[in-house]
This record gives sequence, structure tokens and C-alpha cells, in this order.
Amino acid sequence: MNSFHLARALAVLWKDFLELKKNRGLLYSMAALPIVIVVMPIGVVYAYVSRPDDSNLRVMAQYYDNTVKGQDAVHFLVEKVLNDWFVIYLVMPIFIPILISSHAVAGEKEKRTLEPLLASPVTPLELVVGKSLASLVPSVTICVVAFILLCIGVDVIAAPLGQGLILPNGMWLFGVLVIAPLFAFFGNGVAVLISARVGDARTAQQMSGLLVLPLIGLAAGQFGGWLKSGVAYYAAIGAFVLVLDIAILLAARRLFDRERLMSRWG
Amino acid sequence: MAGGIHVEGLAKRFGARTAVEGLSFDVAPGEVFGLLGPNGAGKTTTVRMLTGLLRPSEGRAEVCGVALPLTDDGSALRKRVGLLTEQPGLYERLTARENLSFFMRLHELDEKPAFALANRYLERFGLQGREDEPVGGFSKGMRQKLAIVRTLVHTPDVIFLDEPTSGLDPQSARVVRDAVAELAAEGRTLVLCSHNLAEVERLCTRVAVIKNRLRSVASLVDLRKAGSALEIRVEGDAAAWLPALAKLPFAPASQNEGSLIKVMLTVDSQAPDVVHALVSAGARVHSVVRAARPLEEAYLELVREDENESADE
Repeated sequence: MNSFHLARALAVLWKDFLELKKNRGLLYSMAALPIVIVVMPIGVVYAYVSRPDDSNLRVMAQYYDNTVKGQDAVHFLVEKVLNDWFVIYLVMPIFIPILISSHAVAGEKEKRTLEPLLASPVTPLELVVGKSLASLVPSVTICVVAFILLCIGVDVIAAPLGQGLILPNGMWLFGVLVIAPLFAFFGNGVAVLISARVGDARTAQQMSGLLVLPLIGLAAGQFGGWLKSGVAYYAAIGAFVLVLDIAILLAARRLFDRERLMSRWG
Repeated sequence: MAGGIHVEGLAKRFGARTAVEGLSFDVAPGEVFGLLGPNGAGKTTTVRMLTGLLRPSEGRAEVCGVALPLTDDGSALRKRVGLLTEQPGLYERLTARENLSFFMRLHELDEKPAFALANRYLERFGLQGREDEPVGGFSKGMRQKLAIVRTLVHTPDVIFLDEPTSGLDPQSARVVRDAVAELAAEGRTLVLCSHNLAEVERLCTRVAVIKNRLRSVASLVDLRKAGSALEIRVEGDAAAWLPALAKLPFAPASQNEGSLIKVMLTVDSQAPDVVHALVSAGARVHSVVRAARPLEEAYLELVREDENESADE
């Protein structure tokens, strides 16, 4: 009888959490990215808010939208940078699962722990679910915490504008609660699939890390004024990633086979 | 055969390459069975098939009453089977206790009684007091002993041990061998993969020699009896008389230690020729005793036979 035992998947999750907790190098790598992603937009918002009368701000705002009036330039630019920044924020839910999953999956192969693991009653499905949770739970948590810090930082810095709370707004809430988890699932899935094919965690990370390049391209398009970010824009990106997630699930079904895991990973 | 192993015509192919074929043998509960063969002979593949990690390409088997090839996810089989892999495969950042706890959770064991059993083994293997240290700081021998505890913690009926005393000092190796003998006495079935023939001689009652196919399944007594040996004690250093033996038309294999020569015979009728050759060369023979061949000799002969057949083809 083929049955899914949640207790066994949770055992894998428990073990991977313990390993993650004890891997300082990995924890530092995971912390570095959110710090940059939170601090940088706060710094830009501060730059705009601290010089509201700078005529260059009006010129910059009118580059993106020539209907912007001079007194609205700062508010426009703050909103613009935050909307555009979300695509950079998405690097985080993709990259953190890659960091974790590459270690958790290719690491088993590298350290020769996979054979004893597969010789236990855990099924490949329980193994993949446990490992994916161990990657997704911290990634999504970090993304939410980073978002909360970003909201606090931006709202404190932008208080002199007198516009009330700038963050959270609808687009960011939708992005953090819906799009980011889809990206985290995607990053984790790709890292798992690549880890199954390569020999070590570092190669898996390097190859999976290429996934962030399209996001950098989108960011360049937005900052250059060719792409206009907003709820519909991010929803379209989210829908595309959802399709990719489904494709990854289908591909991962091929991994749910002990013999394939053993002959490829063992 | 509830706690034993029955193997019938088992084979495994990876694409066009045959890893092992034509395996048939039985292992009774309470028996320590040796699986011998050179590197790449298919021992690991055989064990992986019998633990449900690889699906046989041909043939069938029964382990603890569970039929192979598996028709389900194999959890029932894995709950009753213990596997000590060639590499200990421990999580180095975790402590010994956490490593064991992880496998207890995978086996869905009640951790209190499971740790009571584990602690007995840890104490026996000299690991007591080190449970809360990260495994990364353990020596090779300590890791091997911890891996053995992990293999036994769910009280499996059938236990596969791949080089169980690898990396252990003589004292620890003896403790492990004693534990293996006790497990067999409790009625557990043990399969020992090893290149350490002295250890196999001490622990196993029967062995299978494989080299991509089954070469022989026999008791150690029968294996050593196939052909025989002479132990000849001569005056002075025995090495001086080995060239005389090499000149014989059947050029028997021989070993010497001090004044003792051990000569391997393929047929009993070669014995007078051996003694005659030594005496003719001037050796003063003090005694001649018929002896069983060492396991090493029987094993090497079986492996060489296979090489000779390959060369003939």
C-alpha cells in the first residue's frame, strides 16, 4: 500500500531545520540579501523625501509621466520606486529557497547520507515534501519579515510627506502574500530538480542562481521606463510563474521514484 | 520464511550493462551469511535489491516475508530491514543523539524505549557520554559505531552490514563482531559484505561468492574442502624449498611461514608428488598433515576461475 505519512515528512523537515540552524555560513548568506533589499529602497525614499524642493525630482518624475505636477513629484517618485522595487524584492523568494534546497538535496548526495535515508521507511514523496517545506517555510517567513521592516522603514522616513501610510499597499500585499510564495515554490522546485542532476550543492546553487537574471532584466525595463509596474503587471508575472510551478510539479513526479533517486543520487 | 531471505534468479541491469545476474540462495533466520566478491562484483547492487532500493531486472526474492520486486512503496520491508552502508552516512552538524532521533522519527518509533535500546549499544561501543557532541568531531571508528547503532535502533529482523568493522581498532572490531554474533543468536538474519576474509571466517556459517554472477554458495567448511591443502613442516626456513614446488608440472599455490609450508592441491593424488619434490630437493621433512584450504585461497580460486573463463571466451 502506498501511503503518505506526515510524521515522516515532518521528521525530514525537523532534521533539515536543525542542519540549517547549525550552518552559520548559510544563515549569513540568507540574511545578507534581505538586508540589502530592505535598506536600499528606504535609502532612496529618504533621498527623495529629504529634498522635496529639488527641481531635478520634477524632471525625473516627468521622464516617467509628463503629467506629474511639481508638488507631486516626490510622492510620485516614492510610489514609483516602491512599485518597481517589488521585482527586485522577488529575487529574495527565489534565491533563498535555492540556497537552502541546494544544500538540503545535493548535500545528501555529497555527504553520502542518501542511501541510509532511502533505506528507511520514508517515501520519496515524503522526502521531497519535507525538504521543500524546510526550504519554503523559512523563505516565506524571511520575505514577510523583510516586508514588515520595509513598511516600517518607508512609513517612518516618508512621514514628512503627510500622505499617511505608503506601505503596505494593495500591490505589495498581493505580491508578498501571493506572488512571492509562487516564486519561492519555483526557486525551490528548480533547485531540487537541478540538485538531482548535478554532483554538489555549489554547482546546484550556481545553476539555479541563473533564475534571477530575468528579474534583473525586468527591473532594468522598469527603471528605464519601458515597462510600467502595477498590480496587473505583477499578476501577469505571477500567472506565468504559476504555469512554471505546475510544470515543475509534473517534472518532479518523475523524481518520486526510489530507484531513480538511488541510481542518480546514491 | 518470515525472518529470512530467499533469492531466486535475481539479476540487475543498468541499460546494456549487467551488474549482477543468476543469483539464487537462501539465508535462514539466525544465520550470518557472507556476501563475498571483488570490487564491482555486484555485492552492493545485490544488497540494494534486497532492501528494495533497486528493482530487480529479473528473478524474484523474499525478505522477511515481503516479496520482491515490491508491489508497494516498500515501507513494510524497510521497517524490518536494517542497512549499514559502506559509508556511515551521518549528518555531521547534528549530534549523535539527533542523528539517532531522526531515524527513530522516520521509523515512527516511540523515542523513549528506542533510546533505551540505543543507549545500551552506545555504552557497549564506548560512545556513552558523547551523545550530545556533533558527529563532525567524531573519529572514523566512532562514526562507524554510531552508524551501526542507527542500523539496529528499530530492531530489524534482517540486517545487511557492508564492511561493519571498517575503520575500527582491533578492540572495537571485536566488540562489533560479538554484537553481530549475539544478534544472530537472537534469531536475526545477518548478511555481511566484507573483504575481510578473516572476519568472514569468524562470523559466517555460509557464504556466497559473486562476481557479476553467482560463483558459489556453500558453507565455509565445504568451500575450504573443495580441493585440499597440505601443511608440511620442514627443517630450517621453508622459503628455501618453494622453488622446488614451482617446478612441479601442476605448480601448486603455496604459502610459507617459518618452517611451515602450506601447499594447495587441486586433487588429493598430488600429495605424494609434493612430498617427493621436497625430499628430492634435499628438504628434511618433519611432518605432513592434511589441512583445509584457507578461505582466502578458496575465494581467490573462485574469482580466478571466472577470469580464466573470460579469457577463454
